[in-house]
Amino acid sequence: MRIVIRLQGVTKRHPNGLTALADVSLSVAEGEFVFLIGPTGAGKSTVLRLIYRAETPTNGRVFVGGRDITRLPARAAPALRRSLGVVFQDFKLLPRKTAFENVAFALQVTGTSPEEIRPRTLAALELVGLADRAEALPWQLSGGEQQRVSIARALVRRPPLLLADEPTGNLDPRTSWEIIQLLSRINLRGTTMVVATHNKLVVDILRKRVIELAGGRVVRDEDYGLYASQA
Amino acid sequence: MRAAAGYGAGEAWTAFRRNGLMSLAAVLTIMVTLLLVGAATAVAANLRLLASILEGRVEVVAYLRDGLAPAEVQRTAAAARALPGVRAVTVVGRDEALGRLQDALGERVSLRDLIQTNPLPDSLEIAVSNPARAHEVAAAVAEMEAVEDVTSGGQVLDRLLAATWLLRGGGAAAAALLAGVALIIIMNTIRLTILGRRQEVEIMQLVGAGGWYLRAPFILEGALQGLLATLLAGALLVPGYLVVRDRVGALLPFLPLLDPAALLPALVGAMAAAGVLVGMSGSSLALRRFLHI
Repeated sequence: MRIVIRLQGVTKRHPNGLTALADVSLSVAEGEFVFLIGPTGAGKSTVLRLIYRAETPTNGRVFVGGRDITRLPARAAPALRRSLGVVFQDFKLLPRKTAFENVAFALQVTGTSPEEIRPRTLAALELVGLADRAEALPWQLSGGEQQRVSIARALVRRPPLLLADEPTGNLDPRTSWEIIQLLSRINLRGTTMVVATHNKLVVDILRKRVIELAGGRVVRDEDYGLYASQA
Repeated sequence: MRAAAGYGAGEAWTAFRRNGLMSLAAVLTIMVTLLLVGAATAVAANLRLLASILEGRVEVVAYLRDGLAPAEVQRTAAAARALPGVRAVTVVGRDEALGRLQDALGERVSLRDLIQTNPLPDSLEIAVSNPARAHEVAAAVAEMEAVEDVTSGGQVLDRLLAATWLLRGGGAAAAALLAGVALIIIMNTIRLTILGRRQEVEIMQLVGAGGWYLRAPFILEGALQGLLATLLAGALLVPGYLVVRDRVGALLPFLPLLDPAALLPALVGAMAAAGVLVGMSGSSLALRRFLHI
């Protein structure tokens, strides 16, 4: 099985002296669905931020798609980010662009030819079930719909890897469940999925691999895990 | 690069429309500063014209001794012409000098009736290439054997030079100072419009926008703001100059003023170039310094 993500003895200390991660090692294989769990401040977001190179590690090494990105210069970050999709708790949609424009945006900035942009954007919106809301502005959409737009944006370049940081954090239980099902469906199509969450319910129902962080360390890495440790 | 430019131009225009109020504030700020700089430049250009006209009148006159042979006069004129800093030398014979004096006095007084002989000497009118060197030329001419006396305006010349220096230097300094202030104000204004869209830039970076895809929309938006501001400023400055020129011309008819056709096209052109350039560099600087890209 090809390894998509590998962290080797990664330590991340912030300039203010806070240690976000201490000697974390983990790897994720192609096609896996992984829940990253743990209380706020455990280091879940930092792991994701290292993978899409919003941060670089203090010690240790980070590989994405077989490539060493440990000391990747900031100007090479855009190219890396185009090879993966990221979804956030607060959706991060451009408020003055329609759903269609928000998704198309991810293609425009990578120089996709204009003839290709329209069909691919519509296909991505179709995949998340929002083809009929393409012309709506973010404020005209519900939270769940906004998150679907942001997932469509993350997927429109058909990246092999999707990262989600608390994707259900701002959503009610029912909508959260719909979003997780959507992510699960996308994973079944072959996209490797790493989801940071503290939504106990979805973790327990899906029974996927669970990596638990506490105080910046990996305290559990279990296949078919539950939110709470069984040990 | 070309795809980025096309995409950037579209984005710039959309952003400009959707950020209405902020864009308007930026354009008006740039317009007012450009207008001030433009007006100061117009005034400075007119002061420079005045200074050069005043300086063009500076002349050294050498009065020659009596009884020189014409050949001697010509030799002295040639020697004066050869001096450094001399632009032209005109020989004024004593008869011509008397004629000029008669012309100056007018018809009421007839010199012929008052004096039988011509008391005036032959003289050389020496035009200098640089008024600041008039004293030097006068001193050199005074050394010549055929020359009896020299005038170069003396104290009047010194005061004139001080005045023209002030006109030139003061005008240029005021324009430069205003341009500097304008630069700071414009860059700060554009910085604010970009800071207001920090979130937008962050999202652009997250979806992998880099290089020109990130910068082009903002830089082109800055250029657009600069250009619009210049058009507005020009629309006020051109009729403004025409009106002021008419008024001043009527009040002080002896004051030389630059022809609008000679001044305005170049001035508005320079303002447009400056507006666009400052708009672009303001955006570029703001992006680099405040968003670290």
